[in-house]
Amino acid sequence: MKKPKEKWIRFRITTILVFFCLLAFVVAGRAFQLQVLKRDQLCKLAERQYKNKIPLVPKRGTIYSKGYEELAVTVEVDSVYAEPDEIEDPKFAAKRLAPILSVSRKKLEDHFSSSKSFVWLARKVSPSLIERVKSLDIQGIGFVKENRRFYPNAELASHVVGFSGIDGSGLGGIELAQDAQIKGKVEFVRAERDALGKRTLPKDFGFEDSLTGNSIVLTIDKTIQYTAEKELANAVKKSGAKGGTAIVMDPKTGEVLAMANYPQFNPNDLSSSPQIALKNKAIVDTYEPGSTFKVFLLAAALEEGVVKPGDKFNCENGSMEFAGKVIHDTHKHGTLTVREIMKVSSNIGSVKIAAKLGKERYHDYLTSFGFGSPTGIELKGEGSGILRSMKTWSKLELANISFGQGVSVTPLQLATAFSAIANGGYLMKPYLIKDILDKDGKVIKRNQPQIVKKIISGETASKVTEMLRDAVAEGGTGTAAALAGYDVAGKTGTSQKVSGGRGYAGNKHVASFIGFVPARSPELVVLVAIDEPEGIQYGGVVAAPAFKAIAESSLRYLNTPDKNGGEIPAGEAMKVAKAE
Amino acid sequence: MIDRRLITNFDWTLLGSTLLLTSLGVLNLYSASYSFSSGSTPVFLKQVYYILMGLTAILGILQIDYKKLERYAYWIYGFSVLLLVAVLVVGKTGGGARRWIGIGGLTYQPSELMKLSLILALAKYFHNRNNIGGYQLRELGIPFLLVGVPTILIMKQPDLGTALILLSLFVTIVFFARVRLKSLIIAGVLAAGSAPVLWHFMKDYQKKRLLTFLNPEFDALGSGYHIIQSKIAVGSGKVLGKGFLSGTQSQLQFLPEHHTDFIFSVLAEEWGFMGSMVVVLGFLFLVLWGASISKECKDKFGTLLSFGIVAMIAWHFLINIGMVVGLLPVVGVPLPFFSYGGSFVITVMMGIGLLLNIRMRRFM
Repeated sequence: MKKPKEKWIRFRITTILVFFCLLAFVVAGRAFQLQVLKRDQLCKLAERQYKNKIPLVPKRGTIYSKGYEELAVTVEVDSVYAEPDEIEDPKFAAKRLAPILSVSRKKLEDHFSSSKSFVWLARKVSPSLIERVKSLDIQGIGFVKENRRFYPNAELASHVVGFSGIDGSGLGGIELAQDAQIKGKVEFVRAERDALGKRTLPKDFGFEDSLTGNSIVLTIDKTIQYTAEKELANAVKKSGAKGGTAIVMDPKTGEVLAMANYPQFNPNDLSSSPQIALKNKAIVDTYEPGSTFKVFLLAAALEEGVVKPGDKFNCENGSMEFAGKVIHDTHKHGTLTVREIMKVSSNIGSVKIAAKLGKERYHDYLTSFGFGSPTGIELKGEGSGILRSMKTWSKLELANISFGQGVSVTPLQLATAFSAIANGGYLMKPYLIKDILDKDGKVIKRNQPQIVKKIISGETASKVTEMLRDAVAEGGTGTAAALAGYDVAGKTGTSQKVSGGRGYAGNKHVASFIGFVPARSPELVVLVAIDEPEGIQYGGVVAAPAFKAIAESSLRYLNTPDKNGGEIPAGEAMKVAKAE
Repeated sequence: MIDRRLITNFDWTLLGSTLLLTSLGVLNLYSASYSFSSGSTPVFLKQVYYILMGLTAILGILQIDYKKLERYAYWIYGFSVLLLVAVLVVGKTGGGARRWIGIGGLTYQPSELMKLSLILALAKYFHNRNNIGGYQLRELGIPFLLVGVPTILIMKQPDLGTALILLSLFVTIVFFARVRLKSLIIAGVLAAGSAPVLWHFMKDYQKKRLLTFLNPEFDALGSGYHIIQSKIAVGSGKVLGKGFLSGTQSQLQFLPEHHTDFIFSVLAEEWGFMGSMVVVLGFLFLVLWGASISKECKDKFGTLLSFGIVAMIAWHFLINIGMVVGLLPVVGVPLPFFSYGGSFVITVMMGIGLLLNIRMRRFM
């Protein structure tokens, strides 16, 4: 009796179990499909849901002067925000906060009762304001540290250093040109996001250390820069000029030790500076170099052996008809040696030398000195000046160019070309960046002096130098640039400004002086160009004294031995350093 | 007092595998509720209390010879039906459904007790009859009534998942008790024919669930959300999983109800295909082991009762995981040993208790 019944039960149990196992197999198969076959596709879907790319802006690197003084730093400042849904009493909160934040109560109340989850109240504000807001202890008001760019020396070297925007991107100067280095690599953090949309940052994420841009060490010497700025400002103010530029370069290397422009601006407070003040005239503006340009004619002519320093030229008593135009000298001269032509800066003499040299060779030399093309300095917006193609040069044009008209140069081009005279004939590539440091201060790139070209022989260079000494000596145009204790080689320049399209703007001049000291073993090339001085407009009057002041204090600061071989007593040097 | 044979014949394997699965469940629940802290007691700790209550229930059940339960089966069934009526009258509402009654500070879900009561009642009914040739449909009037009354009451709450479980149990037990093939076919036809009628009686949200099951993307942010999120969670676990406490979809709460009905997705996400298979095999083992208890049992009541309990665990497991992996529509069926919930934990534990009870008295 029992047997068949048991058999039946076994059969049914097995049937149902097989059925269950079959279903379990289907479920397992489905799991296999999802977790093995479609895993990548579903994983992507999951990531899209919970992962959220957030760009992390690294802390900007520091910009240092040559002596590691901080010129641009990033500091942490506080910002205040509100989380409206956390604020219990918007009216009360608005009433208390309005006077501190100097925002209208109405506006704050609107913020606080809005449906937003986050509202900025004040960004990058002073610690005292933060303290006052904190003391109110209102729920729903939060504080966050943000990075702010700060320029501890304000105006100092501002045209070189540049400035940056509120989002931390460089907008001018080195800040802009080296933005990629200073900014560092923006990293994307994959933040997780829950179903409610709240972001959670990974726990192990170190913002401060890992994300800092590289730092830049400039060739700018803070003391020399300061001196250049101060003396330039004096000269501009004294002459009632519109503005001016001063450059100090190390002729041996091409390092730019100072690059000053007037008017200046304060990168910490851009809104109060006129737009025009932001321009780095030293590399952007071009002007007709005038007589300073004669130096390169002389160098070319001597190098080519066309003239010798003692060769005599008839200077036509200050007035010469040439190619249908009359060319004038400031003073009437009869016969002058090449040396004297340079000393008194005779235009007529220069025209005659240029004619002897010929336009082909002259153009070649000017090109070699770097005119007509940018120097390649590490800044944006550098001008190339105008040096027309030699083929189009008329006789008159050649004559004009010989005394610095019909060409235009940037102050930096001129200083760079002049350095080649000072250093014995090498055109150096000017540079502003000495080192690039990583976030730990380790040098990751060191710029070395770069010779672009050897232009003239050392012999020619010293011949030119001797003549440039004459220009500063008694009877020359640049006597105001003469220094006690150091020989100066230099040249004055006074050029009419080109107005708008064609022709010269009658009374608008650029008065300049460029020179190097000490003449026989040059440490510094100093260029001073004053834009539109009032009254007396000669470079020898307006610019030469500024040259003298800059050169003098810089040499003292550098402890350069004077021509008697002596050094400035340490105390004196200290005084100069302290003066800033 | 306790017969020594009871101890010698005690099924340590069943208790051991139960405790193992339960521990895995608590661990998984700890992870599932890791990222959100609601209330004072963590969810996993509450679950531990429920499990302790369940183990106490097992101890209690072991004291009574299951044969005695046969006598009280209908009474227990009647009591359960009364509780279900009470739920509809004085029950507590939660999540749009009235499923609980309050006892003191605690709440209990009587539909859980109903699962066991129905098995008991059906076991008793079929035990008392001996039909060698198999049942015809018209002979099944009383069983239909036994399952019909609670199913309707539970549908009223509404609780589609539990109703589905009761129906599945009914079908399994009836098949087990031997029904004629002809009757089986007629029943199938009738069931198919009643589908439109059932559809008519379904609540809107239940209809919507069925529709979105057929095409989840149709209502991706509404009722299809569960299915899509669950599939994403399971699938993104890949083969080896994201690791304990590291599931993104569940930890970040993309997946609603992931500590109750969708708990398996947490496990699948964090332990991957391997983990999923361990659990599936664990359940299969439990079901096969339970079936062996049924097979060995000498009396028909015990056979039916034990098999009913095995079927209950199997159906919960299959429907729940089928739902989580998107094979079945979203119905509220929890996963034994893994899903959070006091009433359910105690029901499952009592079921295990009954299995142990039957097993250890198999020679008596």
